[in-house]
Parts: sequence; C-alpha cells; structure tokens
Amino acid sequence: MSEDIIKQIRSFIFENFLFDADDDSLKNDDSFLEQGVIDSTGVLELVDWLEETFDMKVEDEELIPENLDSVNRLSSFIAKKTQ
Amino acid sequence: MSQQPAPMSHKTIPDFLLHAADKFPANAAILHAGKTMTYQEISSVALSQAAWLKSKKFGIGFRGAILSDDPFVYVAAYFAIQLAGGIVVGLNTQTSERSLKTVLVDSSSAILFTQQKFKRYLAGIADQLPALRHVVIDGESEQDDKDGKWLLRAITLGIDSHEKLPPVSPKDIAQLIYTSGTTGTPKGVMLSHANLVANTVSIVTYLRLTEDDRVMAVLPFFYSYGNSVLLTHFAVGASLVVNQNFLYPNVVLDQMVEHKVTGFSGVPSTFALLLHRSAIRKYHFPHLRYITQAGAAMSPKLAGQLNEVFPGVDVFIMYGQTEACARLSYLPPEDLQRKPGSIGKAIPGVTLRLLNRDGSPVAVREVGEIVAEGENVMSGYWQRQQETDEVLRPEGLWTGDLARSDDEGYLYIVSRKTDMIKSGSHRIAPKEIEEIIHEHEAVHEVAVVGMEDEILGETIKACIVLKPGQSCVEKELIRHCRQNLPAFKVPHKIVFFDELPKTSSGKIRKKELMAHSS
Repeated sequence: MSEDIIKQIRSFIFENFLFDADDDSLKNDDSFLEQGVIDSTGVLELVDWLEETFDMKVEDEELIPENLDSVNRLSSFIAKKTQ
Repeated sequence: MSQQPAPMSHKTIPDFLLHAADKFPANAAILHAGKTMTYQEISSVALSQAAWLKSKKFGIGFRGAILSDDPFVYVAAYFAIQLAGGIVVGLNTQTSERSLKTVLVDSSSAILFTQQKFKRYLAGIADQLPALRHVVIDGESEQDDKDGKWLLRAITLGIDSHEKLPPVSPKDIAQLIYTSGTTGTPKGVMLSHANLVANTVSIVTYLRLTEDDRVMAVLPFFYSYGNSVLLTHFAVGASLVVNQNFLYPNVVLDQMVEHKVTGFSGVPSTFALLLHRSAIRKYHFPHLRYITQAGAAMSPKLAGQLNEVFPGVDVFIMYGQTEACARLSYLPPEDLQRKPGSIGKAIPGVTLRLLNRDGSPVAVREVGEIVAEGENVMSGYWQRQQETDEVLRPEGLWTGDLARSDDEGYLYIVSRKTDMIKSGSHRIAPKEIEEIIHEHEAVHEVAVVGMEDEILGETIKACIVLKPGQSCVEKELIRHCRQNLPAFKVPHKIVFFDELPKTSSGKIRKKELMAHSS
C-alpha cells in the first residue's frame, strides 16, 4: 500500500514539476522546499491533487512542511488521513 | 499640500547600514532560519568584503551581481558592493541558464556572489560571460578551478576592514533592478543612491518606522518592493524576520507570532494565500502595527477580511514602479473604507499628475496617464537611451498606468497601457514567453495572455495555432517552456486554436483571448 502511494506521489511530482529529470534526482526524504522542487502555487496544486486522488480534505492548519514537504512525509500524511 | 519627508542625514545607501551599526550595534538586523545577525555583524562582514573588492581592483561603477536566497549572503554582498563603489545587480533566484546569461551579459557584471546550489545554472554559461572575473560561492566546497574565477566566500573575509574605501556620491548608480520590458528583453532600471535614499526616507515617514519595528519580510530582496522593505528597515535600525519562499504560509504565521513582528508587507497574492490557504483565523498578532500592500488596489471585500483577521492594524495600500525605486502613492489606513479601490495620493516628496498624451492635464474624473516627478525617479534604463527617452520626458516619468482622480484628488487605476501579466509578485512580459514558444517547431502562431486568478491575480495562458500537419500536446510545449524559462514564466494553461482572432490590420485581439473561457 505505502509503496504504491509513494509511486503515485513520485509520478505526480515528476509529471508536474520535474519533467525530464532523472528518477534519482529526487530522494524520498528530500525537502521540496530546500530542493526548489515546487513554489507556493505548486503547493496548492499538490493539495488539490491530494484531495481529488485520495478523497480526503486537507485542513488549512495541515498545510505545513511536516505533512507535505517530501515524498515520505506526504505518504505518511496520506496514510494518516485515509486510515 | 503634500506631506514632507522627515529629515535624515543619509546621503548614500551604505550610510543606512553604517549609521545603524553605529547607533544600534546590537539590534538584530536579520533573523532567518534560527540565526540572527546584528547591525554590527553585518556591517563588519560588508566592510571586509568591500575591502577585498577594492584589493581586487574593482573600481567605481563596477557591476556586482547577487544570486542568493540566503538573506545573510545577499545583504552583506549588497552593501559590500556599494561600499566599494559598485552597482548591485540583484538576480531573481527563480531562474534558468538563459535568463541568467541575459542579465549578466547585459549588465557586464564583473563579480557574482552566489550559493553552491546555483552553480548548476552557471557551470554551462561561465565561459560565455567574458566580463565576469570572479564567482564567490558561499558554502563548504573546495576551490575548484585554476584561474581563480570560482572562489569561496571565506576568501572575501578576513581582510582589514579599515582600509579606506572610495568615496561614493549620491548621484552614483547604486543598483540596477531588471524589469520585464514590453519587448520581452529585461531592462535594467538604474537607481542612484539619491533616488533610493529619497524613496526610503519618504516611506519611513509615512509608515512611521522606528528601531523598535520588526517586519516579516516575505518578498525577495531582488524585487523593487522587497528591496524597499529592506532599505526602509535598515534606515531606522529595525529588524527583518526573513522567510522569502512563502511555500507554507502557516510557518510564516508562526514566525510572526514567535518574533512579535510589528509589520508585514505583501502583494495581493500574499494576502489571498493567507486568507484562503492558511489557518490565519486561529492566530492573534498583538504586536502587529501595520500591513502594506503594493501591486494593486485592494477590493472592499479583501479590506474587510483583513480588518477581521488583523483588527486594529493599519493597512496601507501603496502603488509604485521599479522606475520610481518602488513607491509613488499610498492610501492612508483611515481612508481604506472611505475610498475603496483607490491607490491614494502621492507619497511625501513626489508629485503625481494625470496627463493626456500631449502632456496637457486631464479634467477631474477623466482618465489620464500617471506622470511622476520626484527625487526617486530613476536615472534611466541601463544602456537603453531610446527606451529611457520614451518614459523620461520633460513632464516627468510616464508610468504607462492610466488612472482617474476624484474630487479630493485620490487616484484610481483604470488600466495599463501594456499587456504585462501580473502573477503573484511577478511582472511578466507575454512577448518573452511568446518568443520561446515560437521556437518550437510545431508552432505556427502564439499569443500569451493573463487569466484572472483568485490567488495569483493572474495566471498565464498560451493560445497556440499549430503548423499544418503538426501535432503537439500541451505537455510537450510545457516541457519546452520549462527548459527555457524560469518556473514562474511557464504557462499554467495551453489552449489550441485553428486561428487567433485578429483586427483588420492583423493585430491579435488579446482581450478576446483573455475572455475566452477555455
């Protein structure tokens, strides 16, 4: 389950923000912020995608790096919200 | 009768830093990522770097570029370059090899202060920048070439900072700020020390800033507005809490509470993000004294929402241009409800008039172009006399913004003469994006326009006609743009057309494309 989610997240990030980059250019623990992967509108796109894909509601106070700022953090957040 | 700026003895921009270091040495100048630098510390680093620049024979008027999202690196280099008699070129950190090369070549920058992480943009173009003598990198890596072009920042420190630096005149150019031109090629706005000092003093006056203020600085310093936030607070020895990525607004709100900030400056999209995509209604800001917004007038709805989440806080709506250092007018907080949609009146030391194309004044309530006079009006565009002559005319600076005034002289922007897109804090020339898209082999014709957006103000839409027999999907064109443009200039939407709507003279009807719903 978790591996599938990680695959889905990576595929979304590469398709929308990293494009032709090599798969190993983003590690699952890399911070999107520090790596410059997404900007503030990218975060909004990411949240829209989470809500649509995983049928979950992301509350305003949940928009924090601890939930959203890496592939692994996203995966844990999705698991927590959908369990 | 216009308000007069408060008297201040500063003549040049480095005077702000040196004065603050002398009068308030222990005041925190910059707080960022858990680290603080006082005015004394920043002054000492900047003086040391300036002495190193002098020792390397960088003379009066050299261009020193800065590409950094680390405020300590940026601010120290900013003052060092000016202390050594140079001209600062602040570079947008959301960049591409191509954009970077354009500005470094146009400005003939002789030195670049940057960080390790930006080296990836430079490695491929360093050989094509003949004027660039040194790249000073902040970081831990070793010096990695033989000709001494790539240097560690440590090399610029540890120099005797008491070495006599060259005298800098108020008339000298302090800074070039690159701004998108309608031609698509960015132009360097030349701002002298006198220009910047005049604007800074005026803003300090109406915001009533003091050394006790502490601003949340979310706008990048390489932008005119962010630069102005930096200078106005340095001018009085106040503090800047810096977080310029604004990816997670809740983090910024936490910092505002933690550091007891007294001020906050943003553009319309900053406030849209805070109001719609943060937990702002769960916070209290007992120390917050003022908010400033520039970039557009504020709708009564947004003003009401801000009053709700920031009760008792003064909201200043401001208007300006890079060509005026930043600021030309402001709407006092007490007029926000009474004059909805207004950008207020001229700031202290500036005169604004609404003129017809022939230079004659328009009647009250009639629309005219805003023309500005004041010490803050730029010295011209860097090495672009023709473009300079087009906007700096005997009447003053022709802003390209059309406005009307009411009976009391409050100004209201009606429209702009150019088709610039304003997205977030960016001002984007459609032409630049059109040129890049046109380079794609499948594209026959392209027009780029802005689409209204609740958060960003506008997003970018590219309208495309393909060559006969060509097929090209949206993703392929986006990828092409990604490779050649900074992220903020990449269209959010691509729409394909059989043909673009045109006037009888063959000009594309962009307004029609803006209204096109798909």
